[in-house]
Amino acid sequence: MAIQILSEPPPEPEELRARLEAAIRAHFPDAKIEVSASSPGHFEVTVVSPLFLGLPRVKQQQRVYAAIRELMAGDSAPVHAIDRMVTRAP
Amino acid sequence: MNPDPSARSRIEALIASQRVVLFMKGQRDAPQCGFSARVCQILDQLLPDYATVDVLADPALRDEVKRYSEWPTIPQLYVDGSFVGGCDILQEMSEDGSLFETLGLERPKPASLPHVEFSEAAIQALGRLAAEQPAGRSLHLAIDARWQHALFFGEDAASDLVVEAGELRLGLDPVSASRAEGLRIDAEGGPEGPAFRIDNPNAPRPKVQQLAVRELKQRLDAGAPIHLFDVRTPEERAIAHIPGARLLDEEATRAIARLDRATPLVFHCHHGGRSHAAAEHFAAQGFLNVANVVGGIDAWSQEVDPSVPRY
Repeated sequence: MAIQILSEPPPEPEELRARLEAAIRAHFPDAKIEVSASSPGHFEVTVVSPLFLGLPRVKQQQRVYAAIRELMAGDSAPVHAIDRMVTRAP
Repeated sequence: MNPDPSARSRIEALIASQRVVLFMKGQRDAPQCGFSARVCQILDQLLPDYATVDVLADPALRDEVKRYSEWPTIPQLYVDGSFVGGCDILQEMSEDGSLFETLGLERPKPASLPHVEFSEAAIQALGRLAAEQPAGRSLHLAIDARWQHALFFGEDAASDLVVEAGELRLGLDPVSASRAEGLRIDAEGGPEGPAFRIDNPNAPRPKVQQLAVRELKQRLDAGAPIHLFDVRTPEERAIAHIPGARLLDEEATRAIARLDRATPLVFHCHHGGRSHAAAEHFAAQGFLNVANVVGGIDAWSQEVDPSVPRY
């Protein structure tokens, strides 16, 4: 079994949760944002933003994924999956 | 991670080459992940053919398609070169019906309750199985776009249409219901419990394939699981026969009836006329992979094995 040596300890769920929320906030300043951890590395995200007005759901979610891309990139990314994403316009 | 131009051009070529392309883990008939399996199930219901790309076989493509679609997970569906969504979105589109338009299909008309006939044996066998099910699970029939039938116990959906036969209730989703008019369900007892047989008059009759003698020889030599039947008379068979071919007598006919409908069946005669009729007969019985040997044993003698006498 391969053992992965981490250069730094894995981030705490709360710290990661806050980083996710901040990354989304940077792209959606006026949004109502809820981020909760469902299991290690897995999160549920709700974003209610006026920027979603008139956009199909897939485009809304693509924008959220683009905002958190850095946290999900690569096999050792801190965020493994968004188990549930809810997006809508207010 | 930087963009990979070679993988990107492969993706662009793939989504331009076919109308409907699913990037998934595994293959359509052998998905390697539950989300990919779910999407295949949704698409199978609506489309006889679509392209799939197994991202597990191509890690560079797997990484790049996530970047290309701005979507971090697999599966991913493309229609007419545009990204449609992943599992959740497709599930929703399937439920609200918008997937029909996206795929260029007409929404089925509000389905009327199909007439489904059950044999007495089927009612009894299904009734016994239904009695053993935990609460909330009832009998369903799903018919996909390739006319594959699945009879199973599962949860009810609000949109199900329910056919009743005595105590028995059979739920069909609206798309399956639109394919079920006049369908008949029969049961045969077997050592491992009942086997159900479904005859659906709406299913297109499978065509009999025409098989050249040389191709038959290649398949037999390759050890393909072919059931080869000789539909000639025992007298003709005494003159000449193809090794491995079984005389289609009453016993063989009964043995065929017990075979799975996906079993490949091949028929030959002297010149190919009688065997074509036999092949049509078994295709009409629901066998999906039926072939006639073109030119019969006479062609076999001339093209494959001259030691088999001609007559």
